Amino acid sequence: MKQYDVVVIGGGSAGLAAALEIKKQGIDHVLILERDAELGGILLQCIHNGFGLKVFKEELTGPEYAERFVQELLEMGIEYKLNSMVTKLNPDKTIEYANVNEGFVKISARAVVLAMGCYERNSGSISIPGNRPSGVLTAGSAQKYLNIDGYLVGKRVFILGSGDIGLIMARRMTLEGAKVLGVAEVLPFSGGLKRNIVQCLDDYDIPLYLSHTVTDIIGESKVEKIVISQVDNFVPIPGTEKTFEIDTLLLSVGLVPENSLSERCGIILDKKTKGPVVNESYQTNIEGIFACGNVLHVHDLVDFVTEESRKAGRSVVRYLNHELNATNNMINVLPKNGVSYLLPQEINLSNLVTPMDIFMRVNKEFKNAEIVISNGDTVIKRIKKKHLAPAEMEKFILKDVDLTGDMIDINVAIEVQS
Amino acid sequence: MYDVIIIGSGISGATIARELSRFQLKTIILEKEYDVAMEATMANSAIVHSGHDPIPGTLKAKFNILGNRMYKQMSEELDIPYMACGGMVTAINEDQVHLIEELYERALINGLRSDEVKIIDQETVRSLEPNIADGVIKALHLPTTAVTFPWEAAIANIENAMDNGVELALENKVIKIEKLDRFVVTTDKSVYEAKVVINATGVYGTDVAKLVTNPHFEIRPRRGEYYVLDKDVRLVNSVIYPAPSEKGKGVIVTPQYHGNTLLGPTSEYVAFSEISKTTASGLEYIKENVAQTVQNIPYHKIVRSFAGGRATSSTEDFVIEESEVKGFINVCGIESPGLTAAPAFAKYVVEELVSVHFEMKPNTDYNPRRRKVLRTNELTFDELNNSFHDNQKYGRIICRCEKITEGEIVDAINRNCGARSVVGVKNRVRAGAGRCQGGFCQSEVINILARELKVDKLDIVYNKAGSNILKETTKGEQK
Repeated sequence: MKQYDVVVIGGGSAGLAAALEIKKQGIDHVLILERDAELGGILLQCIHNGFGLKVFKEELTGPEYAERFVQELLEMGIEYKLNSMVTKLNPDKTIEYANVNEGFVKISARAVVLAMGCYERNSGSISIPGNRPSGVLTAGSAQKYLNIDGYLVGKRVFILGSGDIGLIMARRMTLEGAKVLGVAEVLPFSGGLKRNIVQCLDDYDIPLYLSHTVTDIIGESKVEKIVISQVDNFVPIPGTEKTFEIDTLLLSVGLVPENSLSERCGIILDKKTKGPVVNESYQTNIEGIFACGNVLHVHDLVDFVTEESRKAGRSVVRYLNHELNATNNMINVLPKNGVSYLLPQEINLSNLVTPMDIFMRVNKEFKNAEIVISNGDTVIKRIKKKHLAPAEMEKFILKDVDLTGDMIDINVAIEVQS
Repeated sequence: MYDVIIIGSGISGATIARELSRFQLKTIILEKEYDVAMEATMANSAIVHSGHDPIPGTLKAKFNILGNRMYKQMSEELDIPYMACGGMVTAINEDQVHLIEELYERALINGLRSDEVKIIDQETVRSLEPNIADGVIKALHLPTTAVTFPWEAAIANIENAMDNGVELALENKVIKIEKLDRFVVTTDKSVYEAKVVINATGVYGTDVAKLVTNPHFEIRPRRGEYYVLDKDVRLVNSVIYPAPSEKGKGVIVTPQYHGNTLLGPTSEYVAFSEISKTTASGLEYIKENVAQTVQNIPYHKIVRSFAGGRATSSTEDFVIEESEVKGFINVCGIESPGLTAAPAFAKYVVEELVSVHFEMKPNTDYNPRRRKVLRTNELTFDELNNSFHDNQKYGRIICRCEKITEGEIVDAINRNCGARSVVGVKNRVRAGAGRCQGGFCQSEVINILARELKVDKLDIVYNKAGSNILKETTKGEQK
């Protein structure tokens, strides 16, 4: 059985950044296992720009952003295998994968980085009432058909969900000559970034129906019509129905971290993020198995994925160099009023490298609010925010001075200023 | 000129076709859809019922018991998934305890042996089913209840029938039947002639019967909606029925062979146009009813919902008989327990109804076995490598969620009664049946279908004629 220092599962934005960081810090035997035919992950189908503003201080397309990492990876001679699907991950860090050249292979690693990304919630998972015709597909699938394969899936399009991929696809399909009739969002606010609402919908006069959802899909072999209705707290209001004649319904109703491998390995997942519970070192409950990127929690921007994955990579190196202490002196980071989730969920104070970024999302929209961070009942700091929304990931920094005295738990809540 | 035309390729037509292929008869199946088994056989609970439930003396009772006893052997011969998981009918109050006691008696009258049915107490129920609802106080335990994989059962029967000489004509909707000295059956594509015609058209049974006879029964579609939970949820070990009501066997929680859990069905008479529609109220109905029998249901793990129409007869029983027009045989009203009963009534149809029209010479080349299906996710590591060394395509995983290889997909396309559509692939090998519902693998499945069938990708359909997924190329000519 071949032995590696680190095996990175997934060669998308997270896996590439983590592997590079690990190699740069002097670890030699690193392997990336990528299930697709190329490195880069979902970036490759994101041919729009807007990537890299934080990491490279310039605006790149998805493939360009990926290319920067792939080039560096090639220069550094990091080993990778394409078309290689990991079929099993074991707690002892042995891994099984398959590809057409080697068949089914078992390898072992001293450390593993989970970087498998997400899958899209789909018509099955959201149980839309109505028929099950063709022409109902996720925005990401349509994006792959269009940008990678060169096929258009329809000409009269409606989009359910205002997630970023749906917004991007509204513009993209318009540019390819399709008519996008509207976007419906069940919540009273958009699930996508503000800049995407402006640049992808407003600029093309595509209406956004907030507090609306699809209540019927009509069509035997292909979708012919959909009905949308206004909702009151998710419940459709009778009499508000609008019918659209379409040939395509795209779904942009959220991403779910893809953790079937992790779950079967015994890795504990956070109910909110649907990703592994990790500590300050991005280590899961299984020693030596780390996670970063969208497999951990859904990010708004790839730049954040890169930053997080580099940090995870540095932790992996510390782990391999026996610089991480076992789990003692652990405190919890707990979401309180108004907070949906926080990441990491646990901090081992003896391993903490400050300043430490804590990522969070709120569970509804807030205006003129404060993020209140407390140690037990004692407020450590308050951060003023004009606007907080679930679609926008927030980040705050914990410094040494924030973590003095007896640390109990870190509680984070949102308070609205009166 | 054929000896027998079977109209319909659901589980009824499929099992009858295989049964006919034991004899030297020239048989063809006519199916209106793009693939076989697209209606009720596609949308049911997948249960091999024990036979405890039908009214004694009915065809349902007779063929249910016989079919249950034939299922295991049929599944072995045809390599159809079969899970002998058992079942239980639960009672939540004294009235329902009374009902399951009546069912116990009925089960014995129907022919279950005394070791095949028993009433168990709350403690035993709980030890068998940790997630049983707290309110369940007793249950009727039915160890011979099992679970199959319904559309694969139909597909396997047709494949085996074709291996043994039966023909299949898809996309042929019967529009006219004339009775001369033979039957002349006209479809929207062609004309077929035969001495005997078997009407196995499910919810369309009356419509087809009316083309040539004056049926004494009426078939109405009764819709059932279902919800599927992801396969990592191990909710129940056996089939959990509620106590029966006037609406039939009620909302059932069924473990599936591949690890999913099925919740359903609802029960509602609907127009033909509404058969395959799910509704918001249907899901609510299921949630309310299931709560009485099973708890801790993770509704956030729903991967899919679907609806189908059961063919409910006005006679409240199966209609399996030769009509007043000699040689025209109705196999109608095949609702639950039709899936279970099919191998038994197929034998009856051939040996008792078809046989009077022909000299039944055995087909000496008849092979009851279907070529084994290599299912990579059931293999050990070493077996996986053996299959890979025989064919490298078994090393390329296409469906990430269900771990289905290119080798399995190619095999499913190239068999008799092979897959021609994206859903056809899914129904045969489960590529796209997992949590992402084909989000990642659908484009690759289209590539493989186009390559194997030697057609353009634009011509690959989702499930039915006209359901093409790709509408046009954006970069000019692409092959």
